Amino acid sequence: MNHLIFLIIAFPLLGGVSLIAMSRRVREPLAGWVATAAVGLSFLTTLGVFITLLGSHSGGPSHAVTQHLFDWINVGALHANMDLTVDPLSITMCLFVTGISTLIHLYSIGYMHGEKDFTKFFIYLNLFVASMLILVLGGNMLLTFTGWEGVGVCSYWLVSYYFQKDSAASAGKKAFIYNRVADVGFLLAMFVIFFNEHTLTYSKMTAHMSSLTLTMAVLALLFAAAGKSAQIPLFNWLPDAMEGPTPVSALIHAATMVTAGVYLLCRMHVVVSASPTGQWVICGIGLATAFVAATIATSQSDIKKGLAFSTVSQIGYMVLAVGTGDYVAAMFLMVAHAFFKALLFLGSGSVIHALDGEQEMGRMGGLRKYLPWTYGTFLFGWLAIIGVPPFAGFWAKGSVLDAVFGKSPWLWAGGLFTALLTAYYMSRLFYLTFTGSARFTEQGPNGEAAVAHPHESPWTMRLPLVILAFCSIFGGLLNLPWVHGFGLEAFLSPVFGSSLVVPADSMTKQFLLAGADALVAVLGLTIAWVLWRGRSERPELTPAFLAKVWYWDNFYDTIIGRPATALANFTAEVVDPLVLDGAVDGTAAAVGGLATRLRKVHNGQIRSYGVGIIFGLLVILVSFLVVVG
Amino acid sequence: MNAYLPVFILMIVGILFAGLSFVASGLLAPRKKPTAAKLAPYECGIVPEREPPQRFPVRFYLVAMIFIVFDIEIVFMYPFAVVFRQLALFGFLEVAAFSVVLFAALLYLVSNGALSWGPAVILTRGMPSRTSESTITRISATKSTDGQAA
Amino acid sequence: MNHLALPTVSYAALAPILFLLLGGVALMVLSALSRRPLAAGTVTGYSVLIGFGALISALAEYGHVNGAGPSSTVASAIAVDGFSAAIAVTVSVVVILASLLSHGYLRRMQIDAPAYHVLALTSASGAIIMAAANDLVVLFLGLEILSIALYVLAALNRRSAKSEEAALKYFILGGFSSAIFLFGIAFTYGATGSTNLQVITRTLGEGVAAKPGLLLAGLGLLLVGFFFKVAAVPFHLWTPDVYEGAPTPVTGFMAAAAKVGGFAALLRVLLTAMPQLSTNWTPVVYSVAVATLIGGAVLMVVQRDAKRMLAYSSINHAGFLLVGIVAATSAGISADLFYLFTYSVTALATFGIVTMLAGPRDDDAGIDRLSGLARRHPAIGAAMAILLLAQAGVPFTTGFIAKFSVIEAVVGHGSIPLAIIAMASAAVAVFAYLRLVATLYRTEDIATVDLGYDDSLTDGPAAFAIGLSVVVTIFFGIFPAALLDFGRTAVAHLLP
Repeated sequence: MNHLIFLIIAFPLLGGVSLIAMSRRVREPLAGWVATAAVGLSFLTTLGVFITLLGSHSGGPSHAVTQHLFDWINVGALHANMDLTVDPLSITMCLFVTGISTLIHLYSIGYMHGEKDFTKFFIYLNLFVASMLILVLGGNMLLTFTGWEGVGVCSYWLVSYYFQKDSAASAGKKAFIYNRVADVGFLLAMFVIFFNEHTLTYSKMTAHMSSLTLTMAVLALLFAAAGKSAQIPLFNWLPDAMEGPTPVSALIHAATMVTAGVYLLCRMHVVVSASPTGQWVICGIGLATAFVAATIATSQSDIKKGLAFSTVSQIGYMVLAVGTGDYVAAMFLMVAHAFFKALLFLGSGSVIHALDGEQEMGRMGGLRKYLPWTYGTFLFGWLAIIGVPPFAGFWAKGSVLDAVFGKSPWLWAGGLFTALLTAYYMSRLFYLTFTGSARFTEQGPNGEAAVAHPHESPWTMRLPLVILAFCSIFGGLLNLPWVHGFGLEAFLSPVFGSSLVVPADSMTKQFLLAGADALVAVLGLTIAWVLWRGRSERPELTPAFLAKVWYWDNFYDTIIGRPATALANFTAEVVDPLVLDGAVDGTAAAVGGLATRLRKVHNGQIRSYGVGIIFGLLVILVSFLVVVG
Repeated sequence: MNAYLPVFILMIVGILFAGLSFVASGLLAPRKKPTAAKLAPYECGIVPEREPPQRFPVRFYLVAMIFIVFDIEIVFMYPFAVVFRQLALFGFLEVAAFSVVLFAALLYLVSNGALSWGPAVILTRGMPSRTSESTITRISATKSTDGQAA
Repeated sequence: MNHLALPTVSYAALAPILFLLLGGVALMVLSALSRRPLAAGTVTGYSVLIGFGALISALAEYGHVNGAGPSSTVASAIAVDGFSAAIAVTVSVVVILASLLSHGYLRRMQIDAPAYHVLALTSASGAIIMAAANDLVVLFLGLEILSIALYVLAALNRRSAKSEEAALKYFILGGFSSAIFLFGIAFTYGATGSTNLQVITRTLGEGVAAKPGLLLAGLGLLLVGFFFKVAAVPFHLWTPDVYEGAPTPVTGFMAAAAKVGGFAALLRVLLTAMPQLSTNWTPVVYSVAVATLIGGAVLMVVQRDAKRMLAYSSINHAGFLLVGIVAATSAGISADLFYLFTYSVTALATFGIVTMLAGPRDDDAGIDRLSGLARRHPAIGAAMAILLLAQAGVPFTTGFIAKFSVIEAVVGHGSIPLAIIAMASAAVAVFAYLRLVATLYRTEDIATVDLGYDDSLTDGPAAFAIGLSVVVTIFFGIFPAALLDFGRTAVAHLLP
């Protein structure tokens, strides 16, 4: 099975390429089915590789198996080859990436029904999956970077999918530019590591660097991860990215791509764990992001933006877990989050679909009876994310908070408070959408059209919801705290080896911590119930400061945007016309002037041409005369 | 500098020759104004009937040029005849090749009507079928080559 | 009865020359004897076959020289070496392409097809003779065979006054320069006592040339003769007028064949006969190269006529080729060989396209007429754009490799200022090329201009030749190694 690893990437790539080739002939819904089948085959291949990996423990201490496809770059000391590495970490990523991708492809067939560029959507989606898998399976940083850029560009295409809309086009640009800024971090990290380690291959990396260099490398990696995974200071592109179609938000901006930063930090665990300073910074960034995004999420009125900030906040938890050294907890939360966040997004997509594109929660309410399937599945997603036992989120977030408590109780307190906020804002979102009175049946104050009878979605959309709801309910089974021989921890720990820090708490302490988590979840749920029951607006609870994302965009606009615009204007109005155009025009004028003068010699008269020849001859002869004489 | 002496001497001789020619003609030429009869072109003693600068067929030149080519051939033939025996078969073959090439050229000229009078054959040949347009082209072409018709 | 010492003649070594020359003569006889005018297609096919014959025999000679080393024949008047074989290959390719490119034009303009082909074949043989000449007198013979045929070719379009004017100008100035060249041969003979290149270099090496003044005067006069032929500034003045006036396919042939012959002879004379005088001729070639590079590029910018622009472009190319001579190393010579081959192909094809566009009477190649061409005829526009970019020296075309290897050679020789001037001139020239490309792809006012050449665009053989040239230009631009090696091997077997 190991020589078939490349098929994991090849299937979606082939799907995308063949759809491009046939894009004129293939129409809805065939294109969707082709794309879904391509990703589905990739998922089956991944399963096969996974089972092989479980069966054989031949891959050395870290259980890594590498398929060498071909030599790619071989310059001096730099040997970056097309090596696909399968180890427990990457196969875990592959499994949930391909699995959820298949479900979301299926969902999109229903959701994108009737879109003009139906085929194009699935081309992008397939290419995205292929890039994501390159990112995950790449055996060296350069290959990962290739996938990293690939997902970036697919994300750009998909966010700007409705490019006729100004806001979608700008959102795409914003996402792309923020990611490019973060790429600088990735490149710097590669430079630092290559200069010190002379390799970019993960399996050959050691952390034999001075502590300062190590810290630099970790900070660069964190900066890269902050861009892709929407962490402070580069987190504010993600809410705008919700301009893309909802399946895109579910797949790329909730379940898979945005976790790439966390994956990168896990991949680089050797380097990350060697720098305590770096780990503290990672913890700080993770907690700050989790907290800030959670506060913002409490004040959002757009259902997708609310979910987007929730995603930012949850990834903050994952980063926090990476900072504590408990990579397994980070991966556990990543997988669980992929389940329930994809579910929530797809559920919100189902709602939006039912309401003809309405995203304002002020125009929802009472959907429980109109959309029973959506409501039922969304319910489990909601309970999972706020951490109510025994759903997946409880176990995942619990293991993160355990690890944080081991690092520092202060951090833990912050994390727990954020969990309270999470329970509050998710409950608010849930109540506003599904309970209370239906607010969409009449025309809205701003002229929004009334929707008389919201309709439940087709089966292609309902099936993924059901499967994901199932996963959200039972996802906790992947890594139960009292089971050690089986589950994610046992599976993943060989990869991380000595880098992994697992809190060794007593049973009592674990129960106390878990009890605190559950208590906070119920508390948040209740507060929201009290505050938002039967209400659709409470301006005093949604201050502008929070609704406007802590004025973060305005801050960037002031310190970067405006000075940069001023500089650009200066160069455009002063430097360009005077200095550059001056130089260019001057050259042109010089050439033109010389040409006009030289041209006069070419007057068409043979006699003057003859004079030219004689003149040249005389110059040559006289020069010889001077030399010899 | 010394090395250039022959060149300079040659140059000086050339300039002197040109200058002396002018001086000599100035000294020797008659000072009287020429009469009208003296200015008239000399045509073998016959009084010219038409204006001399009128146009005449360019074919005269053509024939003259063809003559020169064969004239030059004769120039080659004389020395060859002198050493004919020493050059033996090789020389004979080389000169034969030379003559054949010239003869081929003559063939070409004859076939193109270079020696016949009238419109150039080459112009009438290049026109597969006659249309009103081709006729106009041909007539205008004939005019420009054969000035007499104009 | 004493026999004269008769020379041995290796007809195999002369085969490319004989193919072209005898092919021309035979065609002349055939056209004279045939009752009906020969069909244009037959003549073109014949000419292409002759070109192939010359090409194959040239390749055979190349192979032979590779095995047996360089030698000379006909009483050491003709050099049988890799260099002359390589030039013969180039000239044969020029003949093949030029025959194909002229086909439609001759039919359209009702020009006697055999006349063109006879003259082109003869002229091409002259170019090979120049390259193979191991004796100044034979070299002169080749020069005259090349030139006289070209004078007549320039006048071929007898319905065009411009064509006649061009031919007359070319003839008078060409005769003038031939006289200067002949004078140079005489002086060289006077100084060294021989016209044979080996004898000259031996005499120079022994230092027995007692009259350096005579020798240098001879060198200067020879150089002027060559500079005229290859259109180097300030001996280039005839070029734009003649290129503009001559029938366009003839211009293409002239640009290729005359340049190949002239540069081949110049390289051979300077580098095999007079290497001892390099301290004298290098500064001259250096300054002429500078003048040629700058003059060609600068004047190219202000032209409004495609043919004149390409004339200055060919002058600029001549400057680059002179740069290769300044390098005077085997790298420089092989770079020049590569340059000559690739330039010939591109220039021929470029003029081939201009032929298609110069209007029904071949009298208007104004750049404005090309406006929006690429939108109407995408294939022709694209081919033109590629060829122009190749001439500009854009990467992935032969033009880039050619310019690059010449500059590499001259930098290796240590003349960095010249390399910088060459590159600066290329930058100026790029402007002119790109402006023409931009004109091709212009969208506005294509509806208002009556192009009037749509029928001339359906010219099968020409289109084939242009396509072939574009393929060659791109193929050897991406995989130049084989052609570069061909040139290097040729130079390795240069008759000393």
